[in-house]
Amino acid sequence: MIELKNVCKTYHSKDQEIKAVENVSLTIKDHEIFGIVGYSGAGKSTLIRLINGLEKVDAGEIIIDGEDICKLSERNLRQKRQEIAMIFQHFNLLWSRTVLENIAFPLEIAKVHKEERLAKAREMAIQVGLEDKLNVYPSSLSGGQKQRVAIARALVLNPKILLCDEATSALDPKTTEDILDLLKAINRKYHLTIVMITHQMETVQKICHRLAVMKEGKVVESDTVDNIFTSPSHPVTKELIQTVDTGVDVIKLAKELKNKYPDGHLLRVTFDNENSEKPILFEVAKKVDVPINIVSANIKNTQAGALGVMYIHIEERQDIAMLLEELNKNDVVVEVV
Amino acid sequence: MLEELNYLIEPLYETLFLTFVPLILAVILGALIGTIIFISGDNGILDVEEKSFLKTVHVVFDALVNIFRSVPYLILLIWLLPITRFLVGSTIGTNAAVPSLTLSATPFFARMVVIAFTEVDKGTIEASKALGAGTLDIIFKVLIPESLPALISSIAVTAINLVSYSTMAGAIGAGGLGFEAYQYGLIRQDPPRMLMATGIIIVIVFIIQIVGDVLSKYVDKR
Repeated sequence: MIELKNVCKTYHSKDQEIKAVENVSLTIKDHEIFGIVGYSGAGKSTLIRLINGLEKVDAGEIIIDGEDICKLSERNLRQKRQEIAMIFQHFNLLWSRTVLENIAFPLEIAKVHKEERLAKAREMAIQVGLEDKLNVYPSSLSGGQKQRVAIARALVLNPKILLCDEATSALDPKTTEDILDLLKAINRKYHLTIVMITHQMETVQKICHRLAVMKEGKVVESDTVDNIFTSPSHPVTKELIQTVDTGVDVIKLAKELKNKYPDGHLLRVTFDNENSEKPILFEVAKKVDVPINIVSANIKNTQAGALGVMYIHIEERQDIAMLLEELNKNDVVVEVV
Repeated sequence: MLEELNYLIEPLYETLFLTFVPLILAVILGALIGTIIFISGDNGILDVEEKSFLKTVHVVFDALVNIFRSVPYLILLIWLLPITRFLVGSTIGTNAAVPSLTLSATPFFARMVVIAFTEVDKGTIEASKALGAGTLDIIFKVLIPESLPALISSIAVTAINLVSYSTMAGAIGAGGLGFEAYQYGLIRQDPPRMLMATGIIIVIVFIIQIVGDVLSKYVDKR
């Protein structure tokens, strides 16, 4: 378990102070995939580096399995880092080493005997699907392959925690999908705790169990992925989620639909896991006898189930009060746009 | 014809000696000083409580490198005469030129080392730290291998500098091709012999540069 208690980190430059992380408290459970989302500059990069001590806290505690890592000596911290692996946006492999040597690198630091470390590295390379690339240099690999090497390198010491710093942000959508699948499989197979920071809500939605949303150094919202996607409370969260739902940003979509349907009522209906499998909309429309027109619909599958967002249009002369009431009765979130 | 060239064998040997002995010493010392300057800099490789001590070390070594790089070689040669007498037992001859040539090449190579290390990807250093690497791991397993092409080029450039400085070491009777060329050219007014000595210097410089380029390219897997 990783517990962050009132963690603060401030950077001082010549004439200003930047509060990168401000009073953050989080609990990340064992074996879960925890996402930290936010726009760039929200402090998530700093936060993830505090967890393995690459950055030092100014105040607060970071307790990993009952041990406050902020109080560790440099030597003990280095030891501890062998349990907390990390992967990066730009992979950060050593170009001077082959794939196999890169994967064996942490074992070399841990002073594992040469034959043993090469054997382990080879085994790990097979796990990530690079058995035919063992002796090539990273420069001849694709982005996805490089990230696989980085993942193998991170896992070769059997860590308990894997930190992912925008691990898929430099990859194309297809490769991102593959890497996320790999991370998900690793999480299941090795019972690894994964902490990932990203600005892509899709990434979080696909593999995270819980997430925290950051803005200006603070955690503004933290819950299960399901709860956040169905009922986001903070404006930043809403903005981030709607980018996922529609592929375009929310304000733009609402505006477009409003332009297209200037008269009448435009509603945004959000279904969660519980009710997305029932024909609620049909039943409600039949009951109150209001003709509805679906103008935009989107269903996303998350770790815990489906999530649907739908825009419906109803003509001016119709009374929507009854409709709203019935939908609310079915625990469907309705907003008038 | 070939016998005519016999007079150049001794100076050739002296030039090679005055290039490679100081080169080996300067590479060792320069790498050490360059590494000290780099890791004491503001890049988080050394995690120590006492930041001000680190800063002092950085500033002092940086300043020393700058000072000794700005002193003209001939002046350095004179400055070092007492130390040379102590180290070599004499202030004239080929051996006596070694300390001053070393001292002139060391700060130059140290600076090249700092530049080469600075070019190493910060992300790679950070990743190594995240994987549990200590300072020595970072120096020997990351900084040196990842900057090897630049380091090899730097060694070649330093060697070429030494070839040219060795001419001035002739002032204390160190000999060498450069001084031979100077003597035949200026003192004895014998242009063919001067050109011959110069030609061999050019060939040496070319060989050093080509070997440096080839090796540098060979180790570069980027």
